[in-house]
Amino acid sequence: MKVIVILGRVLDPRGIVINRRRGRIFVNREEYLLQPADRCALETALRIKDGMGADVTALPRGPLPDDDVLRQALAAGVDRAIYIVGRADSPPYDDAAWTKVVAAAVDRLGGADLVLTGATTLDTGQGQLGPRLAEAMGWPQIVGAWTVEAVDGKVQAVLQTGEDYVAVEADMPAVVTVLPGALKLRYPDGVRLVDIYRGVGEIAAALEQWNVADLMDTEALVPLLERRGQDFPPERERGTRLAGTVEEMAQAAADALRQRLRR
Amino acid sequence: MEFALNEEQRMFLNMFRDFAVKEIAPRAEDMDHEETLPPDMLQKAANQGFLGATLPETYFGAELDGVSYAMLIETLAGASMSVAVTIAAHVSLVAMSILEHGTEAHKEEWLMPMAAGEVLGGFALTEPDAGSDVMALQTRATLEGEEVVLDGVKTWVTNGGIAGLFLVFARGPEGVEAFLVPRDTPGLTVGYREPTLGLRSATFHTVYLEGCRVKLANRLGEAGGGSVVAQRAMDRMAVALAAAGLGVAADAVEVAAQFATERVQFGVPIAQKQAIQNYVAESFIEIEALRYLVYRTAWLIDQGGDASADVAVAKAFSARVARTVTNRMVQVMGGYGYMEDYPMARKYRDARTLGIVGGPTELQFVRVAQRIFAGRDVEIVP
Amino acid sequence: MDFTFSPEHVALRRMIREFVENEVVPIAAELDREHKVPYEVMRKLGELGLLGVCFPQEYGGMGAGETGYCILMEELGRVCTSTATNVGAHIGIGAMAIYLDGNEEQKRKYLTPLSRGEKFAAFGLTEPGAGSDAAAIRTRAVREGDSWILDGGKVFITNGGYADVVTVMAVTDPALGARGGVTAFIVETDWEGFSVAREEDKMGIRGTSTAELVFEELRVPHENVLGKVGEGFVTFMKSLDMGRLTLGAACLGGAQAALEWAIRWAKTRKQFGAELAHKQSVQWMIANMATEIEALRSLVYRVAWLVDTGRPFTQLAAMCKMYGSEVASRAIDMTLQIHGGLGLTRDFPIERAFRDARIAEIFEGTNEIQRIVIASNIFREHGVRIRP
Ligand SMILES: Cc1cc2nc3c(=O)[nH]c(=O)nc-3n(C[C@H](O)[C@H](O)[C@H](O)COP(=O)(O)OP(=O)(O)OC[C@H]3O[C@@H](n4cnc5c(N)ncnc54)[C@H](O)[C@@H]3O)c2cc1C
Ligand SMILES: Cc1cc2nc3c(=O)[nH]c(=O)nc-3n(C[C@H](O)[C@H](O)[C@H](O)COP(=O)(O)OP(=O)(O)OC[C@H]3O[C@@H](n4cnc5c(N)ncnc54)[C@H](O)[C@@H]3O)c2cc1C
Repeated sequence: MKVIVILGRVLDPRGIVINRRRGRIFVNREEYLLQPADRCALETALRIKDGMGADVTALPRGPLPDDDVLRQALAAGVDRAIYIVGRADSPPYDDAAWTKVVAAAVDRLGGADLVLTGATTLDTGQGQLGPRLAEAMGWPQIVGAWTVEAVDGKVQAVLQTGEDYVAVEADMPAVVTVLPGALKLRYPDGVRLVDIYRGVGEIAAALEQWNVADLMDTEALVPLLERRGQDFPPERERGTRLAGTVEEMAQAAADALRQRLRR
Repeated sequence: MEFALNEEQRMFLNMFRDFAVKEIAPRAEDMDHEETLPPDMLQKAANQGFLGATLPETYFGAELDGVSYAMLIETLAGASMSVAVTIAAHVSLVAMSILEHGTEAHKEEWLMPMAAGEVLGGFALTEPDAGSDVMALQTRATLEGEEVVLDGVKTWVTNGGIAGLFLVFARGPEGVEAFLVPRDTPGLTVGYREPTLGLRSATFHTVYLEGCRVKLANRLGEAGGGSVVAQRAMDRMAVALAAAGLGVAADAVEVAAQFATERVQFGVPIAQKQAIQNYVAESFIEIEALRYLVYRTAWLIDQGGDASADVAVAKAFSARVARTVTNRMVQVMGGYGYMEDYPMARKYRDARTLGIVGGPTELQFVRVAQRIFAGRDVEIVP
Repeated sequence: MDFTFSPEHVALRRMIREFVENEVVPIAAELDREHKVPYEVMRKLGELGLLGVCFPQEYGGMGAGETGYCILMEELGRVCTSTATNVGAHIGIGAMAIYLDGNEEQKRKYLTPLSRGEKFAAFGLTEPGAGSDAAAIRTRAVREGDSWILDGGKVFITNGGYADVVTVMAVTDPALGARGGVTAFIVETDWEGFSVAREEDKMGIRGTSTAELVFEELRVPHENVLGKVGEGFVTFMKSLDMGRLTLGAACLGGAQAALEWAIRWAKTRKQFGAELAHKQSVQWMIANMATEIEALRSLVYRVAWLVDTGRPFTQLAAMCKMYGSEVASRAIDMTLQIHGGLGLTRDFPIERAFRDARIAEIFEGTNEIQRIVIASNIFREHGVRIRP
């Protein structure tokens, strides 16, 4: 069983302050996290490896400026990671363009049984990479899975629709995107972590670097998206102050929570 | 000037010491661990007249002068600061407020039972959003004929667990007013007890007032006169707390000096090391300065008039001395200072509360600064 | 000069931060309240390799050096002083003595399971008559063929109640005393003659076990002599040097947490119509705390670097412990003040941190002893010999 997991990074939201009035984002602490949904995809891949044995390879989501997420994945237990770098002067790749790169990389790796990635990204809210990749490869796709299992050449997943859970299945090879919060990523192994960040030991050889240009004709990588500006979503609604007796307020709070859960 | 204690004061002091050593000290540790204050101890304190310490004899009070009262609180605090604060809140915050601002009827009704320890007093001023800025209180007092309806939440009410009578501050049509509210008044509920760092045998509770109805006659002082009642009470309490700080610091030095005499390391009692001598000496100097500051301030209060800047000086200095001295004395006792079966850890925890209880030190500084800049054409606001 | 952390240390901190937020923060209050040792957390730390953070990989360690160990202690100290103390006693002084002076076989036999959290260690030096004056110990070890027979006891031993292995210092030659007459032993706690007499009730770090240990005709095989016979004092002092540095790191974490709480509360709490952050009384406290914390941070990681690069560090380690504990105590004191009444209730972590912080000025050599160490190092350079 060959599993590929695609991982991206996001600026740690705890290190930024958003000033709506001035329309700016202030970065106090520039630290990056593994995308939350990608964390779940990674854990899913590692559980499949634990359960039935699998060879797990990590690929980057986008042309990342460094290979940190891949090192994190190696420390957590993936077998191999490919850091794919573009040309310094290339235009910014969007998901459409990067899908082509990933598709070429998957081919170069000799295909896979299962490609896992996050269903959404925390910063841009996009969840295109998985579905686009499935289209490009001509594989079935499952989007927004809570749980994923591979059995007898099929991948089974549980999705959530409104209040219901739905079990679906697809033939492998397939692309599955995993919801954020579905699973808790395991802690990395200390020794692997030290070795991979130091670049020593066996694990260091498991991190390779490829160039986009080696995979494909970079002229074909025209982005579809253009960045026009930046705006903020509407401010969160203010809470309401409850009034009445303690019992009434408790009742009102419970009702409100129930409402929210339904939504 | 006269710095010596008079015959009467000396006699009182011996009596206080006797009580502290015999009745409190042996039980102080257990009381702290169990976080209770045995009723029989308060009863014994009442029998000695401590619960009516500064009340006149007409109400079966002990009619102590200010300095003797300060020595009482100091001595009690040496054995257990919880006991000292419990009694001080009862006497200085509540009983004395009734004596000073109450009508004859109020005094007749409450002061004798208070002196006898049948009724303890609790002081309900602070609110969740009115701590240092205590006059921002929001508890409402609505006039309905001859009755007043109180609604609001009070926090950190000392003696909340044991008080039979609360002095409650609320905002009425003419400003802040003070009301005497017996514990069993419908609409008054004693709620959560704060689990505290120190003063664990004293009780601090949240008190809820929900449609709590008392007679207008239960108002202490004039309409809108609550802030004066509160300020006077807080001033008296500040001196008592300053005395408590003095007591806890002085006793800590006693205990630690004894330890340093007996504890041998490197072949000699550690008392022979300069580091230890310095800790003890510096503490002693601060305690001596504090002692006369406290007594003087207590005397000043007896003279009447506005002493709020003076009490702020005493309270702030006491909080600092109590804190630093107990801190040093823990250090003198090394690992033993950190163990709960020795008294020092308790003293350390108790002493730290002084920087906050009765108004944080920073606010005392504001009041002292106000005194210094008074008449200099600059307004000092907190 | 380069003051940045290496990539592996950045990654290590991220890993530990995540671990402590998930595993330690939720239980810290309970450990204190219920007087419970974080046994599960210790085990998990071991599984991840973190209990061997500074030991070589061949002994089950992680090989992240003293810097890595300081990062671990800082992050633990930030959320729970009790857990930091458990770990510090286990790695920093207990296992450290075996790492520093153990022979190959002892390291394989003991250090490896200790690094992995399969066993826990304690460090047994203090006795009723020997606190600051460690050389005054009375526990006796007498040679009997291939064994040593230990008689005596220890007090205030962190992890003593649950450790599997205790490094114990005992007198082997009363005539020589600390200069050649004291030997270190590796003692397994399930051996006959070893018992735990009682556990202390402490003001803080209540999530640790501070035990009194008793040795009655405890038979220790000669192969469990740690280092050379007669040189135990040196072994223990070397371990304490390392322990002092990392205790400073734990204090750094504690102080940092105090600062973070203070900032959060100062920008939330309103009195007199404005947030406390707008009052200079509060600003000064925050500014002072932040400055001291930065100075401490530089000191701690500089000393870690000295250790990792094999340079001498004894005097600076004493400074780390002394200054660190005082910075942490001052910081938490100010934070408590800024919280007003809430700083005094056990419903908030401030109160616990205040009680916990106080220990660091006392154990692993009181701050007076650190000052003696520092002063005697300084005077030695000037040809004057200081006695404690
Ligand atoms: C053990 C204990 C017993 C108590 N007993 C009673 C009682 O019996 N009855 C009662 O009514 N209350 C009682 N209190 C309440 C006590 O008076 C308040 O806790 C105290 O006034 C501080 O209020 P706070 O806790 O809301 O702190 P805050 O007012 O929130 O203050 C927090 C911090 O901000 C600082 N600060 C606030 N404003 C300023 C400013 N303008 N300038 C500079 N610094 C500022 C303060 O100094 C403090 O350090 C008790 C408190 C304790 C801890
Ligand atoms: C919670 C806790 C955990 C501990 N864990 C361990 C452990 O795991 N292993 C272990 O071996 N020990 C442990 N200890 C013991 C600790 O290291 C000692 O408590 C400490 O060294 C101080 O010794 P002491 O308590 O006997 O104080 P003393 O040595 O009696 O000191 C009392 C006071 O005298 C001062 N003093 C002593 N000598 C001098 C001098 N020459 N000049 C100036 N001042 C002096 C001290 O600084 C102190 O202020 C622990 C202690 C505690 C409280």
